[in-house]
Amino acid sequence: MGNLQVKGVKKAFGNLRALDGTTLNVDEKTVTILIGPNGSGKTTLLNVITGFLKPDEGKVLFDQSDITGRSPQEIYEIGIARTFQIPAMFSKLTTLENLLVAAKNHPGESLTKSLVKRLWAKYEKDTIEKASKILDLLGMSEQLDKPASLLSGGQMKLVEIGRALMSDANLYLLDEPVSGVNPTLAHEIFGRILNLREQYGITFLIIEHRLDIALKYVDYVNAMVSGKLIAAGHPKDVINDPRVIEAYLGA
Amino acid sequence: MDISTQIILFSVDLFALFAVYLVIDIGLNIQQGVTGIPNFGILFAVAGGAYITAGLSTRLAIIILGIQTNLNPISDNVSVLQLVNPILHAQPILAVSLFVLFLVIGGAAGAIMGLIASAPAVRLREDYLAITLLAFGEILNVIGAGYTPLVGGPPGVDLPDVLAWAGQYRFYAGSLVLLIVAIAIYVLAGHIIKTPFGRTLRAIRDNEIVARALGKNITRYRTSSIMIGSLFCGIAGSLWALYSGAITPTLARFDWTFLPWLMILIGGMGSNRGTLVGTAIVVTLNKLITYFKYAFVGIVPFNIIWLNYLLLGVMTILILIYRPEGIVRETLPTTKRTTGNNVSKPG
Repeated sequence: MGNLQVKGVKKAFGNLRALDGTTLNVDEKTVTILIGPNGSGKTTLLNVITGFLKPDEGKVLFDQSDITGRSPQEIYEIGIARTFQIPAMFSKLTTLENLLVAAKNHPGESLTKSLVKRLWAKYEKDTIEKASKILDLLGMSEQLDKPASLLSGGQMKLVEIGRALMSDANLYLLDEPVSGVNPTLAHEIFGRILNLREQYGITFLIIEHRLDIALKYVDYVNAMVSGKLIAAGHPKDVINDPRVIEAYLGA
Repeated sequence: MDISTQIILFSVDLFALFAVYLVIDIGLNIQQGVTGIPNFGILFAVAGGAYITAGLSTRLAIIILGIQTNLNPISDNVSVLQLVNPILHAQPILAVSLFVLFLVIGGAAGAIMGLIASAPAVRLREDYLAITLLAFGEILNVIGAGYTPLVGGPPGVDLPDVLAWAGQYRFYAGSLVLLIVAIAIYVLAGHIIKTPFGRTLRAIRDNEIVARALGKNITRYRTSSIMIGSLFCGIAGSLWALYSGAITPTLARFDWTFLPWLMILIGGMGSNRGTLVGTAIVVTLNKLITYFKYAFVGIVPFNIIWLNYLLLGVMTILILIYRPEGIVRETLPTTKRTTGNNVSKPG
């Protein structure tokens, strides 16, 4: 569970070809990182996979079933969760509540059922317990009842990840999860990602520029330039690929 | 009239007005404050509740009370009510049941109006949404004035006196009943805001895109929010019609759109308690201004009827400059932690 295939996806904004026949494969239970210079189409690809943008051409397959052009809501139900590059909080909700909103199929979220507390109190209690555990895992227990608007940039990043973890998805798409996070914590986050992979067999596709930290932890690296995948494979091979060096590492 | 009687009459009337506005403001707050839907068209639901209640109440009363008459319940309205009201005066339980039935009808009318307005509206961005809803607010006055079977056209129509049983205390009973209904709705709304449903509404308000990424069906939640908010507005319209005893198709935008907005703005958007505070302040001020303004005739250099608009307008500007979040801030945390450090009870 968690296999993702992107086949020849094209997406243009006017004259700008953000994705120009992108093909990419993420094996299940792996941690794959997607690199590329700014404007190479990484976030656009994430938006296409998660249904925020409809591709002009091409297909997205998740565990062999076609999910091209499904709505973000359906994608989330299927088992793909994402985070955002710029941390986007529910600012007037607390840290805990930010995670609670992400719960799937919460009976108390229906207007009619919400009126009778008995119908959702148990589920709510379990959800709070789960969210508290995740926040504990992320070292955010102290911030539980703080309004999300008062968190630091790094803490918001962690809430983003925590919110995604609430979904029990099989595939996580993380958009720069450790940008703006201090190095110690960044290493910790990647360590936790590996743990989650081992424990639950979760698949990760991560956009990240901080290769100094990320490369140690990932199984595969995919490199994108101008909306095309130019290299994919083990970290060492990709990083030493002359095309990647030229386009991205700028050596 | 001596001064104490005047104060009592003033306050009792004030309480009734407060109750009607509180119900409207709770409905508006759920939409604008909690969900972030700028509904400038609450008049659509309020007038819907008021006009539909006015139009149906006499017709339903003669059917339910089994009155045989050839008179038309709308055009011969006053004569028909002379047959209806004595029965309501003699049978309090029947009268109260009718009152509840009319509120249900008013609420349903409001909710349906809300749904009609929301069908095109929830798909629009905030600013266009506001304009569309503002336009919707005017529709029912046009229909009410032009289509006589609804509320008898411009002259309006009287309603059965469902509070007739209170006899000489009808005036007081009216305010009391309205307050009870308003407080019940206040408690209900407070509960809804704190449920996971309310939490999701607040999340959508704060960040629609992330809410979508987390699998929330934004359109469905917005529609639910408009529907429940409009339901309350419809009940308020119904309350107003029944309390006044008569309705003309002239519910004004200033009274039923601008004032409720000012109330939730002053009280603090998103907060149920803030809505209560804001309603109390503005209803009281507006009534005091109306009561005392004629003392200033000749002193102020303009027609005195503009004083309410002027003072409340200035107040709006001051609030927006100095305390844009309102008097009562949204309280956090809404969801209390129940896990951790659980001390087991002895025994």
